[in-house]
Amino acid sequence: MNRDRPSEALIRNLTLPQRPHVLLALAILVFAGTSLSYAQSVNPLEGDVRAIRGGAGLFRAQCATCHGADAKGISSIEAPDLTQIWSRRSLSAAAVFEIIRLGIPGSIMPPHSLTDTENWMLVAYLQSVAEAGVIGLPAGDPATGRQAFVENCSTCHRAHGLGESLGPNLSIVTSQRSLESLIASVRDPDALVGRGYKLVHLRASEGEEITGLIKSEDAFSMQLQDDTGRLRSVNKADLQTIERLSGSLMPAFARNQLGDQRLFDIFNFLQNGAQQ
Amino acid sequence: MRKLLEKKWLDKVWPALLASAAVVSPLSAQDGPSYEDILAGFSNPERWLTYSGDYSGKRHSPLQQITPENVSGLRPVWTFQTGTTTRGRGFETTPLADDGVLYVTGSNNNAWAIDAHTGRTFWRYRRNLPNDLTYGASAPVNRGFGMLGDRLFMVTLDAHLLAFDRRNGDILWDVELADYRVGYAATLAPLVLDGKVIVGISGGEYRTRGFIDAYDPVSGEHLWRFNTIPGPGEPGSETWPDDPEVLAAGGGGTWMNGSFDPELNFIYWGVGNPNPDYYGDARPGDNLYSNSLVALDADTGELRWHYQFTPHDLNDWDSNHMPVLAEVNWQGQPRQVVMVGNRNGFFYVLDRVTGELLLGTPFTATSWARELDADGRPIVLNDGSQGCVPDPWGSTNFMPPTFVPGQDLFILTARETCATYVPEQPADAPGQSNFGGTVLIDAEQGSGALRALDIHTGDLVWEFSYPSPTFGGVLSTASGLVFAGDHEGNFMAFDAKDGRNLWHYQTGSRIWGAAAMTFMLDQRQLVLIPSGTTLTAFALPD
Repeated sequence: MNRDRPSEALIRNLTLPQRPHVLLALAILVFAGTSLSYAQSVNPLEGDVRAIRGGAGLFRAQCATCHGADAKGISSIEAPDLTQIWSRRSLSAAAVFEIIRLGIPGSIMPPHSLTDTENWMLVAYLQSVAEAGVIGLPAGDPATGRQAFVENCSTCHRAHGLGESLGPNLSIVTSQRSLESLIASVRDPDALVGRGYKLVHLRASEGEEITGLIKSEDAFSMQLQDDTGRLRSVNKADLQTIERLSGSLMPAFARNQLGDQRLFDIFNFLQNGAQQ
Repeated sequence: MRKLLEKKWLDKVWPALLASAAVVSPLSAQDGPSYEDILAGFSNPERWLTYSGDYSGKRHSPLQQITPENVSGLRPVWTFQTGTTTRGRGFETTPLADDGVLYVTGSNNNAWAIDAHTGRTFWRYRRNLPNDLTYGASAPVNRGFGMLGDRLFMVTLDAHLLAFDRRNGDILWDVELADYRVGYAATLAPLVLDGKVIVGISGGEYRTRGFIDAYDPVSGEHLWRFNTIPGPGEPGSETWPDDPEVLAAGGGGTWMNGSFDPELNFIYWGVGNPNPDYYGDARPGDNLYSNSLVALDADTGELRWHYQFTPHDLNDWDSNHMPVLAEVNWQGQPRQVVMVGNRNGFFYVLDRVTGELLLGTPFTATSWARELDADGRPIVLNDGSQGCVPDPWGSTNFMPPTFVPGQDLFILTARETCATYVPEQPADAPGQSNFGGTVLIDAEQGSGALRALDIHTGDLVWEFSYPSPTFGGVLSTASGLVFAGDHEGNFMAFDAKDGRNLWHYQTGSRIWGAAAMTFMLDQRQLVLIPSGTTLTAFALPD
């Protein structure tokens, strides 16, 4: 929920007088005995607290300018959220190691001439900040959840082959977001509206009114998905008014409409749906 | 049959060629532009011979075929595809034009000679770059050629300066500016003067020491160097800690080329951030000549005057901008001025003879500072550690502005952003980039605008808003047009009087760091803009 508003604790932590070079040197000394090579497919330093700390220092120095201090990316410069690379793209540690080493050709992501140990430390840090998704999902019935999904969500959302595509696809959302943030998005969807889902209400010169999600915008035009799901191009010069709405197109589901247990049923369907 | 024809043609032409070679120097017909030609600026409408079109940096062309009345009919004539990518940065070059040929540099030190009629290539060059580039790996860009006679000059990501034969792209000489492994790289368009090629250096995020260098165009011999960070005991060193190691790694890149006043024989050049960028505790003091404009004697490289825009910079607000020279009526007196729209959010007018500050006023909503004190120093309200000052890309950047004489408008791309700076002591080492902390950018708060400022007051005369912070440069023409590019990929024309948008074309990629150029070809005015991996030429219908 605090994607673009890093917590004060984080900032305090970053401003603490640290000596990452000392840490780094220590860490390198400690690991110097182990032979680390990029040919490995498993990160030999995964979970090692000192490696993670050293990797965090490297991250702040080498990566944070684009990927953000919290590794959650900066969407306006198309730098991806690195806390989600493991779940969304099911990358192996070795693949991440290679991306750091070689960069991504044709993108802003440059190659890095780190030692293999430093590179594995960075991978260890990234593994440590991986978005864990839902942990400790309360029990629920996936079959009931499937039905509840169809009734409550599928008009706009798609998951495991069911539903429409006005809102985000929810097939892997339980591995991308925490239980708390998923519940918050259902109970109070206006609190956080992601890029691509910002709502706008337009009145065209000939009187037509359009409500839609802004997929893209420049000085002259908007590319919308309107509330019927249709993709539409709008020329700003043809509009009488442009009203940007702060809320979400998604209605809030209060407890009396959708009880906690039914919600957990839905989450169980989302988590297990692929296996059904 | 074909062979026979060729032979016949040769038989006719060969004796004539031999005869002419005996009488005149063999290449006289295609000697290319002289220093006097570059000095004459826009006087030959079929040429664009230096980065800004002339030495003044105004980027104001006298051409008048395309006007506010007919610009709506502007259409693409051809598109050139580079076939190279730039890692998220821009295609930042300004093509040079001479005798119907365009000379263009691109990312990763590719370069081309292009037929201006068709967009087809005469030759292509690609430098074999080392695979352990430092700064050059993260910003593999180039801003253009310099040109003199039959030579072209280009700097490289491994910090060399090359001289080309403009007819075939052959390398005539190759000199090293600095050791790229330390962190140096070079990206600017060389400034070519009489008997001098002047270049600067990138890499202020590394343990580098910036400089401006002059080389002999014929031999490549090194003529002079101005170090942007003083040595121990030199003037300016009192603004640094008494530590040779700090000075030797003080940063102060010079990665955008400068302008030139031939009468004063001064060059004007911007200097970048001190190293490390965000962490200032190890470099107490003003850190001259970082974030300054320097005026140098063009023959010797000696400092004539300087003005520091951002003393002790903590926000990576390099002052690498094109300094714009103009003769204006300043409060009733004719005055030779130099103008800078600065990354720190202020617009400045200085007397370019003396360096006296005439005006300094903010052109964005920056909360870093809102005014300068009596000595011309910013009164800093928030150094960025308390949130919401402009991001490290700044309130504007190196994308060229334009000056419209008569109207006395300075037109630039303004960026409104919100960032918090979290400095941290860096673990820096040669070859290792280190910004000295982290910046938290509020992605929800960002916009851009093309802004026209009255140079006498700094007041906003008009603006055109963009939905995101933009990196496109600006060109103006004597017909009353302004051409600009935006982050969404639009190439646009505006009425210089009131900023009304008159035309736009979606190029398909953000226009990043580049400004348009224009010249006449066969009685037809072409306007060119680089965007993404394309260069497109526009003209009115025949």
